[in-house]
Amino acid sequence: MADIRLVDVSKAYGNVRVIDNVTMTIGSGEFWVFLGPSGCGKSTLLRMIAGLEDINDGEIHIGDRRVDQLPPAERGVAMVFQNYALYPHMTVRQNMAFGLQNIRTPKDEIERRVDSAAKILELGHLIDRRPSQLSGGQRQRVAIGRAIVRDPKAFLFDEPLSNLDAGLRVRTRIEFAQLHQRMKTTMVFVTHDQTEAMTLADKIVVMNNRKIEQIGSPMEIYTRPASRFVAAFVGSPSMNFLPVKAVADKAGKALVTLGDGSVVETAIPTANLPKGGTFTFGIRPEFVRIEANGAIKGKADVVERLGDRTLAYVRLGDGSTVIASDTGISSLDTGHEIALGVDGASAHLFDDNNVAYSAA
Amino acid sequence: MRRNRVTEYATAAVLVAPFVAIFGWMFIYPTIQMVFLSFTNAPLIGNGVWVGFENYIRMFQDRIFWNAVWNTSYFVLLTVVPGTAIALAIALMVTRLKGRTQSLILAAFFLPYVLPITVVYLIWDWLTNFQFGLIQYVIEPIMGKRINIWRTIPWFMPSAAILTIWWTNGFSILLFLAGLRNIPRDLYEAAALDNASRWQMFRSITWPLLWPVTVLCLTIQLILQLKIFDQVYLFAQGGRTQATMVLVQYIYEQAFQKNSGGYAATISVALFVIVVIFSVLQYQVLRVRGEK
Repeated sequence: MADIRLVDVSKAYGNVRVIDNVTMTIGSGEFWVFLGPSGCGKSTLLRMIAGLEDINDGEIHIGDRRVDQLPPAERGVAMVFQNYALYPHMTVRQNMAFGLQNIRTPKDEIERRVDSAAKILELGHLIDRRPSQLSGGQRQRVAIGRAIVRDPKAFLFDEPLSNLDAGLRVRTRIEFAQLHQRMKTTMVFVTHDQTEAMTLADKIVVMNNRKIEQIGSPMEIYTRPASRFVAAFVGSPSMNFLPVKAVADKAGKALVTLGDGSVVETAIPTANLPKGGTFTFGIRPEFVRIEANGAIKGKADVVERLGDRTLAYVRLGDGSTVIASDTGISSLDTGHEIALGVDGASAHLFDDNNVAYSAA
Repeated sequence: MRRNRVTEYATAAVLVAPFVAIFGWMFIYPTIQMVFLSFTNAPLIGNGVWVGFENYIRMFQDRIFWNAVWNTSYFVLLTVVPGTAIALAIALMVTRLKGRTQSLILAAFFLPYVLPITVVYLIWDWLTNFQFGLIQYVIEPIMGKRINIWRTIPWFMPSAAILTIWWTNGFSILLFLAGLRNIPRDLYEAAALDNASRWQMFRSITWPLLWPVTVLCLTIQLILQLKIFDQVYLFAQGGRTQATMVLVQYIYEQAFQKNSGGYAATISVALFVIVVIFSVLQYQVLRVRGEK
């Protein structure tokens, strides 16, 4: 068990920069998730920690050792690959034992560790099969088993759930959470799936375009996004973004006039806002409720019934669309004229540089 | 969903018919004719008289035939396994190069393969020339004198083997390269995290996963080298051809120089049987080992 520290880490392939000055400290025993769209550099960052990619600049420390110049095996980390990377010609047992054999671990010790990992992961009955004789979920577990037997200082997971079907994905996600509770080892998990990130992480690192957008706990990321990108990427359905006509001050808090002329009282301190420039108003759908006497008027274009709640895509007077939510059992229908109430305390403002401002 | 089976079979028959027709006409029929011919005393052209097993009895008592069997086997021994091993080694080196360098080096190794035997013969005739051949400058300091390679029986087959490996190796290298590219890169990454050294990666990942390609290379080489003719024929010209005689060369000599088509067909049948037995045997043995 060890912490992982990245200091000013950068990487480029030729002239193409793929990681720009990344700094972070992953606490010992914590579960961190790198979240971002494809090509944002999250997998590259993970592979740099593993030692599968060189870094051009900066330092990587695992525990009290600087590791950025060490080969992968000497870093004391184990990795689970997206495609599992199981050795196809070896049995489950051989796959798990391979790493230990290479460092000449005594035979009975190997057997003890493999058996214990197989027991944790319920692989006992599959131990003499080959990967080709296993299902996707079973292969996944073997890949994790191969990581566990090495007793690493940290686990690195590169999109390990992306090849599983939806149902298995949810089950395996829970198993990951249980595994972390049991092992209490530092874990870093890469994904583009925000649900995985939100449910598993102690801390989420949201990445976009080679840079870190925000590091924070799942709820911080959700309730206080640092940028418009984070606000848009996390949450389903995505946050509403509406044009702002004017921002006034009311007792130190921003009073926002939206495109259709309606006014929303927010809890965002005006002192934090930059002077001048234009703003965009952001509000998550669950804070836009359908209320008989709401200030904002519009027409329901589309109504989605999800069972536990109902989503309405509402066209406002100025032509912009906002997603509002209602209870699961709702009399709402397409074409209805409705009024919306906005919970201003949960609203955000974004400036021209897409920096976010939230309630204090 | 059950469709009309007759229609399905008819469609299948129509689709395979061109192949079956050509295969039957150009391979099966001549093969049967050859077997038939081996029981006659036919000359090169025209029919002969049925002589039963006479040709076969003659063959089993023929000293030159057995010499040709031995020479062919010796040649196969010298080329198949060493050639495949060298091709693997070269492929392993070439695969680590990148981009243009890789293409260039690969082209250099593949170039001999596209040469016709006549050109290969000329190149090696010059290289090994007793008077001015470049190779003599290597031989002389080691052996203390120059050696007339193609007129010295113990040197003949090993030299022909080296030349053949040089000539035909490009194809095996290509097969191995394709095989190497088929091994997923993340297996090596997983192995790197699993503390595997370079040698352990080769032994535990590359070698087992490349085994099917190795079997294929060995089988192709075996069949090819059992049919050795050109090199030996060209280099042995004017020398003691009987001493270095190989099977196909003996068939050629019997058929085209001694005008005995019947006996040549008999030796052909023998070669056919040898090729089938060896290649099937080798393929089965190697495949089973790989699957354990």
